[in-house]
Amino acid sequence: MPVAASAIYFLNLRGDVLINRLYRDDVGGNMVDAFRMHIMQTKELGTCPVRQIGGCSFFYMRISNVYLVIVVSSNANVACAFKFVVEAVALFKSYFGGQFDEDSIRNNFVLIYELLDGKNYGFGYPQNLSPEILKLYITQEGVRSPFSSKPTDKPVPNATLQVTGAVGWRREGLVYKKNEVFLDIVESVNLLMSSKGSVLRCDVTGKILMKCFLSGMPDLKLGLNDKVGLEKESQLKSRPAKSGKTIELDDVTFHQCVNLTRFNSEKTVSFVPPDGEFELMKYRITEGVNLPFRVLPTIKELGRTRMEVNVKVKSVFGAKMFALGVVVKVPVPKQTAKTSFQVTSGRAKYNAALNCIVWKIRKFPGQTESTMSAEVELISTMAEKKSSTKPPIQMEFQVPMFTASGLRVRFLKVWEKSGYNTVEWVRYITKAGSYEIRC
Amino acid sequence: MAPPPQFQRSSSPSQPSGKSEISDLKLQLRQLAGSRAPGADDAKRELFKKVISHMTVGVDVSSLFSEMVMCSATSDIVLKKMCYLYVGNYAKGNPDLALLTINFLQRDCRDEDPMIRGLALRSLCSLRVTNLVEYLVGPLGSGLKDPNAYVRTVAAMGVLKLYHISASACVDADFPSMLKRLMLNDPDSQVVANCLSSLQEIWSAEANTSEEAAREREALLSKPLVYHLLNRIKEFNEWAQCLILDLISNYIPSDNDEIFDIMNLLEDRLQHANGAVVLGTIKVFLHLTLSMADVHQQVYERIKAPLLTLMSSGSPEQSYAVLSHLHLLVMRAPVLFSSDYKHFYCQYSEPSYVKKLKLEMLTAIANESNTYEIVTELCEYAANVDVSIAREAIRAVGKIALQQYDVNAIVDRLLQFLEMEKDYVTAETLVLVKDLLRKYPQWSHDCIAVVGNISSKNVQEPKAKSALIWMLGEYSQDMPEAPYILENLIDNWDDEHSSEVRLHLLTAVMKCFFKRPPETQNALGAALAAGLADFRQDVHDRALFYYRLLQYDESTAERVVNPPKQAVSVFADTQSSELKDRIFDEFNSLSVIYQKPSYMFTGKEHRGLTDISEELGNLSVEAQPAAEALPAQIYEANDVDLLLSTSEKEEVRGPVNNSSAYRAPDYDSTTAALVSSQVPLEADLSIPGLPAYNPQVSSAIDDLLGLGLSVAPTPAPPPLALNPKAALDPGSFQRKWSQLAISSSQEFCIEPRAVVALATPQTLLRHMQGHHIQCIASGGQPPSFKFFFYAQRAGQPPSFFLVECLVNSSSARVQVKIKADDGAAAGDFSALFQAALSKFGE
Repeated sequence: MPVAASAIYFLNLRGDVLINRLYRDDVGGNMVDAFRMHIMQTKELGTCPVRQIGGCSFFYMRISNVYLVIVVSSNANVACAFKFVVEAVALFKSYFGGQFDEDSIRNNFVLIYELLDGKNYGFGYPQNLSPEILKLYITQEGVRSPFSSKPTDKPVPNATLQVTGAVGWRREGLVYKKNEVFLDIVESVNLLMSSKGSVLRCDVTGKILMKCFLSGMPDLKLGLNDKVGLEKESQLKSRPAKSGKTIELDDVTFHQCVNLTRFNSEKTVSFVPPDGEFELMKYRITEGVNLPFRVLPTIKELGRTRMEVNVKVKSVFGAKMFALGVVVKVPVPKQTAKTSFQVTSGRAKYNAALNCIVWKIRKFPGQTESTMSAEVELISTMAEKKSSTKPPIQMEFQVPMFTASGLRVRFLKVWEKSGYNTVEWVRYITKAGSYEIRC
Repeated sequence: MAPPPQFQRSSSPSQPSGKSEISDLKLQLRQLAGSRAPGADDAKRELFKKVISHMTVGVDVSSLFSEMVMCSATSDIVLKKMCYLYVGNYAKGNPDLALLTINFLQRDCRDEDPMIRGLALRSLCSLRVTNLVEYLVGPLGSGLKDPNAYVRTVAAMGVLKLYHISASACVDADFPSMLKRLMLNDPDSQVVANCLSSLQEIWSAEANTSEEAAREREALLSKPLVYHLLNRIKEFNEWAQCLILDLISNYIPSDNDEIFDIMNLLEDRLQHANGAVVLGTIKVFLHLTLSMADVHQQVYERIKAPLLTLMSSGSPEQSYAVLSHLHLLVMRAPVLFSSDYKHFYCQYSEPSYVKKLKLEMLTAIANESNTYEIVTELCEYAANVDVSIAREAIRAVGKIALQQYDVNAIVDRLLQFLEMEKDYVTAETLVLVKDLLRKYPQWSHDCIAVVGNISSKNVQEPKAKSALIWMLGEYSQDMPEAPYILENLIDNWDDEHSSEVRLHLLTAVMKCFFKRPPETQNALGAALAAGLADFRQDVHDRALFYYRLLQYDESTAERVVNPPKQAVSVFADTQSSELKDRIFDEFNSLSVIYQKPSYMFTGKEHRGLTDISEELGNLSVEAQPAAEALPAQIYEANDVDLLLSTSEKEEVRGPVNNSSAYRAPDYDSTTAALVSSQVPLEADLSIPGLPAYNPQVSSAIDDLLGLGLSVAPTPAPPPLALNPKAALDPGSFQRKWSQLAISSSQEFCIEPRAVVALATPQTLLRHMQGHHIQCIASGGQPPSFKFFFYAQRAGQPPSFFLVECLVNSSSARVQVKIKADDGAAAGDFSALFQAALSKFGE
């Protein structure tokens, strides 16, 4: 049995109920009290997202300043439950204009009840979370409409017939004056580097986000420079594969709109897209990752009350590109008293709350390097032991028009029976996931 | 549906000032009820919103029921929805008023708008009032035949709701067979999915009583139906796909071709964006191929990449769920991930529950090829800021060492930990070094040199201290200082509060005595004297035992305390392979997270109460029924157990082959987990029949040893029955209380409902009286209460049980001390008492 939720609660950080929905009578009425007493008020809050109290299991997630709690009494499918919460929150966000917090819940509680009640949770079973279809059922207006660029919604008389059919995620009869497709490849690089400068672990998780404003029932076909796809293509056209970089994807998952049978046989991504914004595919790459930045820290301890920190950051992507919002967080000991810096670019600041020096560079061109040298004075403490716990240096950045994996879109074809012209926009961006350098 | 009846403790912004606001609302609603004026609907909307916001924060607005119903005669669908919500919430508490709504709901069920029909039907089913069932059957029947798919989906779910209100009404109206027809023929996938989930639940519940239902449940797994669903699976939405995949995982194909057909059909599901679908598919693949070893292995290879992706994408909670499954798989196929170990390196900012599981993964996949890298990485974590992760990391290093890969280097690392001079690092390491020495006695020389330098003052944790003392006793011949350190510890006997440490101290000083008699003699005398005077029964008993043993014959005593030891070859795993298989059968469910099969944790609703009372009826001394009867305690153990590494659960099979003889016969892993902290003790008590300290079986142990108590362990004593009319005056209670020693003392959690019921402590007294346990005195202020109870055994000889019970309502913990005229029966009584207490508040 997947998830037969007995109840769903939304609580704020103090434990007040924002929303409660009881689906079944097999749990007592005061499950919130149990949650408050056994989980919120104990130190165990952060220790595990699945807890058992009495005969019931609690799955909970904190999202901004709200706890979402699902209570089940059976042997439920945990992965499904968490996935559902994540999807539901995404849905709420799309209704609330990107916000999901205590205030937006208080302002929209009737809408949430409607969402929780009707189409997407029938007697504790998840039903349907596709925003497009739901919108046909949900009559309340959110604070803001999610896709404001869209032409006004015309009421569709036979709304309920849309639930079925092969294209459950798309409504018929959409008309746009200008047919546009936006495609973003968003990659996040995860790096763990040892203090000796060797890469311990490095991978890229990427996703392709799309925004479609297309009329009718268009068929789309996407070609990437991935190895399997290219090989298959050259095999089909019986000509040798073009030389050049090919990317090996470790694993790919697709939005439900993608025709997986066709992907498996022809290795092309073809699909009828939902209207508006959606995540087309996700992938993971571990081989041949181009790290956009190298970080070379040197930390010298000069006696018991002084430290010298030198951090050199090198950008190794193309000279014509640049990174935005670069932040380097260099941890310093708790007993730091005074810091002084010299930086070749950007600004550095000591943040006592985080126990680290935060060095920010707004724009970082490619093929350059920048250094920060800091002197740190420590309060002398009685404890002789040197602190052996050193958090890693952490880095944040965004590099537009760069993919750490080297993935590129080769083509994006749109085909619709009315044969209109479309404008396609393709963007690339690489962000730092968890970019950690031990020192 | 029961919103908390009283006001929320903390005020929220929208909280009304009191009754006046509600009566104000009432007035306004009344004015609007009949109004047809333009704009009336908007005004109503505002009012309805207010009412529902009160309802949400837990304010009782049920007094507005009739006004709300009056206002609901409207064509405005938003108003209708809010009204349905309100009615659904309060109908159960006001069945008479709910009758008012039936009329308009039934009318709406015949509305021309399918949307309103569906909503009304859903609300009608959500009323949950038993005496309104008759009004439900008609609309549900026509709902199932409705031309509109949305109404049918609602009706299919509604049947299940009806079943939960009144099973007989549901079955009598022949709804299950209607659902079955619908499931096979309906063109709408959501209708089919809802029929399936309803039928699954209904047949499973009915199967216990009716053979036909059991057959029907089997029929859900029949080939035509499974194929019907499989062929359409792409039409279903993601959640319905999960449902179907779960069903298929239980299907048994007739031959291998069928297996391959199903797998080919589902292959592409592994690329689905929804992780739940991917996991569901993995379950199908794993279960289908169980009988084909080589294909099964290929399946592992195939699912590796999707699982790693699922783990590294998504929220930490999702990663947690996936990692639990990975852990289960890696235990079955350890080589599977041995080259992918880097995926399990922890990120600094990950929550600790994810890190813990990653450490377990790293431990499980360590082998010759990757041990060096993994251990190096684990050593990084030992310096982690998060103390609990640092501890886990050290334990992980130790566990890898016990797996025999690259022991040499690991021992060096462990010894380096000791030099870090952090209390918790030292503590964890000592425990590990002790285990290592038991497995690899050849390393004793290196280890002892380092351990000898540790000042016992820096070691405070009982487990670590016990480990250090064990080493001092075991290797006293190699440690020149050993007798003096032990002597020093014995001098400070009173400062040492853990009985575990005191027990170890007694044993260690005995061992030391036989190796270096002149230096230890004084210390031994002091230790035995202190032990005999100890108020803790088990410490006292062990001291007495050693004393008598020495009195009897010194050489026998030496044979008992210092026998030649064999190295422990394998640390036993408490989880039997049968248990592991059952968890594997329940792949993709909570069982994997809790690491126990579902029958061990699914709630009282499914199994509990009746069973427990039956067990109480014929309570015997066996440990298991007693433990079964204590759900509160087991749940607590579950909590503790949830993330413990396997070393915590590892039990030592001592060098003595019949060590299990003194274990309660039905000792299973649940109870073993309860006493895990004491378990390592067993190793140094290497004579047959000398037990590990264990409060639950202590009476049985006493019997075996013939210490103090003369009751023979067999045959099992008759079940403990209590005299319903026991009487004891306060004076004799006090006298007995001061005379008797504590025979059992326990601490456990009570259920939240019990805490709620404790708001009036008098109810507890009456409750316990119902179980023939009388209260003689009680007192206390929230959150801590104290009760004194007594009970008398029925029959001859009449013996009394006295109980001191401390309840802390804020932590939901209970401390119980039991004194008994007949110490042997105290264990039974304790179980009885806890069982009675655990039912409090129901």
